[in-house]
Amino acid sequence: MKAWKYIVAVAMTLIIAGGFLVQVPQIPILEQTARNLFFHVPMWMAMYVMFLISFIYSIRYLNTPNIYFDIKAESAAKVGIVFGICGLLTGSLWARFTWGTWWTFAEPKMNLAALALMIYFAYFVLRSAFDDEEKRAKLSAVYNIFAVTTIPFLLYVVPRQLESLHPGADGNPAFSEITAPELRFILYPAFIGFIALSFWIYDIVHRYKTVQHHLENS
Amino acid sequence: MQNQTSITVDTLSQSYADKWSGAEMEQTNAFIQFMYSNDLIFVVLGVTLIIWLVLLFFIFRVDKKVGALEDQLNSSGDHEA
Repeated sequence: MKAWKYIVAVAMTLIIAGGFLVQVPQIPILEQTARNLFFHVPMWMAMYVMFLISFIYSIRYLNTPNIYFDIKAESAAKVGIVFGICGLLTGSLWARFTWGTWWTFAEPKMNLAALALMIYFAYFVLRSAFDDEEKRAKLSAVYNIFAVTTIPFLLYVVPRQLESLHPGADGNPAFSEITAPELRFILYPAFIGFIALSFWIYDIVHRYKTVQHHLENS
Repeated sequence: MQNQTSITVDTLSQSYADKWSGAEMEQTNAFIQFMYSNDLIFVVLGVTLIIWLVLLFFIFRVDKKVGALEDQLNSSGDHEA
């Protein structure tokens, strides 16, 4: 066990406690759910980092066809999807009590986030279609590079051009001017904490898959 | 039959009614009073922390188990990590 994992464990405990304990500004409709900012938004940040890691290892695989790069790309995409699902579920619950509905097709970011996840589900569907290890690794690496290019457009560019209930719509800043500055003392550590947590889980998953790969090929 | 049993059986609310009404905040200890404060938000915090710590314990365990498997594999054979 590496030391940074203990640091993440302690830091995340403090971040969760801090998220509940700090004073949040009283805003009508939002009320105490403003605290969701500390938990809902970091899910997406963790997802982005995981997809980025997956993308990097897909490129590395195409550069050097080493099967362990493929294992890492797959593991990171898997953990990214898990965090993305957490983001969708928490967002849906939050939306019910502030926007008044579990799901609305009038909200672009919500729907495009779901679409982004489906693009990554397709990555795993594609992977399952091959029996040959090298063919699977190569084709899914190519697909993964396509998949990651959609993420900034689906979750940043397009939602900002449309009318949206999320902050950052209609060309507004997403965060800088409309969010109380004191929230950042928890939010930014929460970004780092949840990203580190996702990296920890990714670390376990790819090591497990590496061991599994050795056992199957020995 | 069903109705009769539900009438004759003494319910918890009857047996404990005096105990519940007696559980006022002045009579309880500091921890309980603290948990009652701020619209019970600390109860939510407690629930969340319990979930988090249990999950954390689980993550640590799985991490250690994978580490043990890696050690086993490393000591048994010739391969690159």
